Amino acid sequence: MAKDVMTTESYINHHLTNLTCGKTPEGWTCDPYKVDQMGFWAFHVDSLFWSVFLGALFILIFKSAMPKNISANSAPTGMQNFVEMCIEFVEDNVQSLFGSVKNTLIAPLALTVFVWILLMNLMDLVPVDFLPVLAGHIAYAVAGSGADGSGVAWITSPDSFYFKVVPTTDPNITLGMAFAVFILTIYYSIKVKGLKSFIAELTLHPFGKYLIPVNFVLEMVNFIAKPISLGLRLFGNLYAGEMIFILIALMLFFSSIPVGMLGFGLHLVWALFHILIVALQAFIFMALTIAYLAMAHETEEH
Amino acid sequence: MNINATLLAQAIVMIVFVAICWRYIYPPILSVMQEREKKISDGLEAAKKADDSLEEAQLAFDQELDKAKAEAAELIDKANQRASQIVGDAKGKAQDEAEKILASASKTIENETNKAKEELKLQMSEIIIDTTQKILDQEISTEKHDDLLKKAAAEL
Repeated sequence: MAKDVMTTESYINHHLTNLTCGKTPEGWTCDPYKVDQMGFWAFHVDSLFWSVFLGALFILIFKSAMPKNISANSAPTGMQNFVEMCIEFVEDNVQSLFGSVKNTLIAPLALTVFVWILLMNLMDLVPVDFLPVLAGHIAYAVAGSGADGSGVAWITSPDSFYFKVVPTTDPNITLGMAFAVFILTIYYSIKVKGLKSFIAELTLHPFGKYLIPVNFVLEMVNFIAKPISLGLRLFGNLYAGEMIFILIALMLFFSSIPVGMLGFGLHLVWALFHILIVALQAFIFMALTIAYLAMAHETEEH
Repeated sequence: MNINATLLAQAIVMIVFVAICWRYIYPPILSVMQEREKKISDGLEAAKKADDSLEEAQLAFDQELDKAKAEAAELIDKANQRASQIVGDAKGKAQDEAEKILASASKTIENETNKAKEELKLQMSEIIIDTTQKILDQEISTEKHDDLLKKAAAEL
């Protein structure tokens, strides 16, 4: 595919393939042709890179926004206002969903989830080709395989280096975060309610103690569905958005000039609309995270 | 789009970031915000208190002013009364004095008048006696008829 003329199909594929590194029988590699041999123990390096980079950016922004010698006497300025606005927003949401239960982890968790996902989603607004092509050229320049066999064998051209930019269009990322929330939910369920009543909650409803297996299956589906729907909702929305950006980009590269011009307009319109999805999905993920953890803290009897 | 170890890695990364935020980012910002919120509400309360006490002071001031005004008016009233009393007294005294002077003057005048009348009577009686002597040709001597003359003078 690498040196072939770019086709519509290869263009789309290129944009939907992660830079995957994993262990093959011959050792660790990032060769896209050997992904099948890697099995489970493979990592989407691009997704993880952007995820960590944006997470670190979030920490950095929120750390540096507060002046060193901060006190309550000085009026907040600049970024501090923005940071405090974010925190107030999160506090409000936690307050409304969590009520009187005191848990200092919830608000920082919600803030991290919201800002981090917002930043990751915002990567969708960077033109689809910009960063992947740049990364491809850098990778080829640094480690491309030459005719003499130097460099990394599988980087035969800039196009052979895959680089997905939006981490939230990778189900591993969204489900990974949902998984972390899921673990926290189980942890707090057991911590707050005790192991016994947590198990009872999973087995004694809705049909009482004579139908424990049925209860367990029903409750388990309910229980597992929460993190999966949480992760897939974010993934689905962002993946679809990304897909439409790619399709609009196709109009620019693979058709006549009038259609290309139309593509420009459509790209703008979709980008504007997508800002809404970007913020909304970040908010929904945050709100559901808070809600699931609030459920874990509920000790009411059914 | 395979599910692979990325999922676990991301879960771990997320837990790390949440932990950092939980330990180092969120609490200092929140504490500053809460402290400031408290400060602002304290300030507002203090301002309200100051407003109240200002109102109270204004009220007390108004009352004092009213009292002072009333006192001043009373003082002026008293002063006026006293002044008119003094003037009245002085007037009365002057009138009395004038009356006294008038009375003594009229007494003097009466005395003088009586004296003059007395004298006039005596002179008149002498003239009458002279004239009568002349008329009666010494028939009646002054010594003999002194009693008669005195009676006539008293009758005049």
